[in-house]
Amino acid sequence: MPVAVAQDETKDVKKEHVLLPFLQTQSQNTLTRLYQRPSSCLSIFRLLSALERQIIMNLLWLESAISVSTMAAWVVREARPLYDNALATLARLHILPQSTVKLALNPTFKTSFRQALTGGGTSSSFGVPAGEGHDKAQDGIPTDRDGRKDDKRNAPSLNTLDSYAIERWETILHYMVGSGNGRRPPEPSPGVRFLLKTSGLMNEFHGSLQISSTGFQFLLHSPHEQLWHLLLQYLHLAEQRRMDLVDVLSFLFMLSTMELGREYTVANLTKTQSAMLEDLRDYGLIWQRKQSSRRFSPTRLSTTLTSCSPSLPNATGTSSGPQEGFIVLETNYRIYAYTDNPLQTAVLGLFASLKCRFPNLVIGSITRESVKKALSNGITADQIIAYLITHAHPNMRKNNPMLPVTVQDQIRLWELEKNRLKSQEGYLYTAFASQADYELVLNYAKELDVVLWENAAKRCFFGSAEGHSNIKGFIERRTMGQK
Amino acid sequence: MSSSSHLSVVLDLSPSQWHLSSLSDTTSSPPCSLSLPAFLSQLIVFLNAHMASQHENSLAVFGAFPGKRHVCDSLVMLYASSDAVEHATPITVDANSYPPFKLLDTSLVQAIAAELDALSTSHADPSPLAPALVGALTKALCYVNRVSFSPSSTTTTTAQPSRDGQSPQSDVTDPRILILSVSPDLSTSYIPIMNAIFSAQKLVRYDPLSLLTLIFQLHPQKVTIDACQIYGAETVFLQQAAHLTGGSYLHLERRDALLQYLLMTFLSPPSIRKVLAVPTQDRIDFRAACFCHKNIVDIGFVCSVCLSIFCKPVPVCSTCRTKFPYKTVQRLKALGAPMAANAESARPSPSATPQPGTPLPDVISRSRTTSGVLPPGHPARNGGGLPSMARSASAFNPSS
Repeated sequence: MPVAVAQDETKDVKKEHVLLPFLQTQSQNTLTRLYQRPSSCLSIFRLLSALERQIIMNLLWLESAISVSTMAAWVVREARPLYDNALATLARLHILPQSTVKLALNPTFKTSFRQALTGGGTSSSFGVPAGEGHDKAQDGIPTDRDGRKDDKRNAPSLNTLDSYAIERWETILHYMVGSGNGRRPPEPSPGVRFLLKTSGLMNEFHGSLQISSTGFQFLLHSPHEQLWHLLLQYLHLAEQRRMDLVDVLSFLFMLSTMELGREYTVANLTKTQSAMLEDLRDYGLIWQRKQSSRRFSPTRLSTTLTSCSPSLPNATGTSSGPQEGFIVLETNYRIYAYTDNPLQTAVLGLFASLKCRFPNLVIGSITRESVKKALSNGITADQIIAYLITHAHPNMRKNNPMLPVTVQDQIRLWELEKNRLKSQEGYLYTAFASQADYELVLNYAKELDVVLWENAAKRCFFGSAEGHSNIKGFIERRTMGQK
Repeated sequence: MSSSSHLSVVLDLSPSQWHLSSLSDTTSSPPCSLSLPAFLSQLIVFLNAHMASQHENSLAVFGAFPGKRHVCDSLVMLYASSDAVEHATPITVDANSYPPFKLLDTSLVQAIAAELDALSTSHADPSPLAPALVGALTKALCYVNRVSFSPSSTTTTTAQPSRDGQSPQSDVTDPRILILSVSPDLSTSYIPIMNAIFSAQKLVRYDPLSLLTLIFQLHPQKVTIDACQIYGAETVFLQQAAHLTGGSYLHLERRDALLQYLLMTFLSPPSIRKVLAVPTQDRIDFRAACFCHKNIVDIGFVCSVCLSIFCKPVPVCSTCRTKFPYKTVQRLKALGAPMAANAESARPSPSATPQPGTPLPDVISRSRTTSGVLPPGHPARNGGGLPSMARSASAFNPSS
């Protein structure tokens, strides 16, 4: 799966991370418990904007509270709204309590984050690595032969981890894409299917799951956004399942600070976290040799959770995509996609009609029908264009503008076409006795500005619903007067 | 989340200066001595803070050691986040610290300890060689150039993922260099420092996005140089370096509060400095060093052909061999003597501007310190202490 390139990153500067609104809805108690773990503090810190990070850093090593005016003295006048915004965000996260007099970081956050930067402490929040012999000393159960054998094996190679993560992740995406066009790809585990259903990405339809319009939009996002979208749904689900949210979140954050290619022991996990292992294994965030294994390794998907770098490597595994962009779009609406990845082909098939397929090349074209099909699935024209731009071939990037204007405009026009008809409720007034009567009523209606359509030859006009009572009254008064 | 930033740190590790710094300062009322170990522990927290800000942030640390035989020996790259794979010291991961931080801390401390040990064994005779700060600065610039401007870095780096599996980010947006100095100015290094500043100003960036409009369009992108004088007197050259590259210069008043200074002033990338202001210099010392004796001069004489600076009128320019008319040299010599005396007497007052009545057709005179707010036409504004200064006046006219 190729990943979002520069464009997405520049967009991200403005955009708040999806997790932050969720965290802001949590109670102070929950957040404070979360901040007890240095790894959570570090991960949340990384999700914040650059300005918020700098404010935290300025206050982190101060022992006493600093007055609001002193802190504000550092702010450039024009940027004052930005600064106030940042303070408000931090206050909602209960990192920096709102105050009109003195500013001081949440003491729990301050202690933990200091510990994260300096190391030390006994929180074990960065994951306990599975050391040689270390396990046996701790929980040496002699009957567990599998575990013993497991200990002797070496940690998985990076390639194993990457291909595992890709395989898991693409299975989910394949399942979503495949459900739309009738093919039956291999099914992911029931847990994943349940999550897809509850998140609204897929709907149950005649006993089988069908992709929904939000699901189609989901497919066009970058893998990083997709992952967070799913994890956010997972967090909501965890709330419903009455799992301890602090445990869930701190486990995710712990994963994000772990080292790729190292094995960690499951001995120190809480009950909730052990239960999560299975789910996260299904999503490809965690690798385990066996279900009963007492060790686990984070994959690249989880170690890049708090970064904006590519979450999936491209050059490994069997179902590999090209390194960077692969789509060439010509002014004659033809699409050349240099890929052999079935998933990319399937995503492309959402809005283009594919003509030929070669070992490393797929040729198709963007037609009115293909785009209308995509639009009816709930995909917007902007999403199609954004996808094409994100995955454009390097040679395409030399063009200015990158995509042919004709094609861009046409896709937008096709979207407008869908909105050609506009319905409005109203009343049709017909069978006027004379032309004079007709004109009188019509003029009255025009004064009220409720006429939507008129035809003098047929002596009828159409008025909107809100004007009906007035017109009706007017006609009744007229007929009463004539009598 | 925003794009990553690169920070190169140049450490001045002169043992004698650090020894002086560790001695308690009796003159100031709060005792604020700062020893090298204390400095390192604060520095490491600062470096961790930089790495914490963003997953992709990169870091390189260079050490400048004094008094080695060859200049190449005296500057050592102590740590680089992207090269950590090759000569990584094996660390034991424990559950209480973030592995990348631990890797950084251990390898940095080990590298410094090894260098200092080598210094004490190999270097028995105390020759008064100054630290190779310029060399380290130049090396840092080369490194910035390598990490941020190689167009093929995306393809080469993904092939060999580094230790934590992250390919180093190719698009570094705002490379910065932070110089932490404890040594006084070394006037012999004036020319190399100025050259380094100019390269920092002019470093060009191969920008993949600009390909949209023009193939191989080059975006001028500055490297910001920040400087912090931790111990000793103000340094003229570092002030100029920071000023000319849009960085920040700080002369520490309270050395024990180093970490807070570092975090508030030098951690924020340029984009944040537009919102949260950082301390700026209100007075910058723009004096230059002469080419003949390497003295820092208040009044200099500039060759009108090659813009070399001399502290005394000379008949032949030592750089470009231009001959100056005998008469002019005589006149300047006569003029130079009272001028120099004037400048000497005026030195205590910081606003030693030349007397308005004195005719100064051929001599450059600069006030010792210049206010930080410069008029738009001021030569120092136009980017370059040395050449622009010479542009304003021509001292010698060639004999032709």
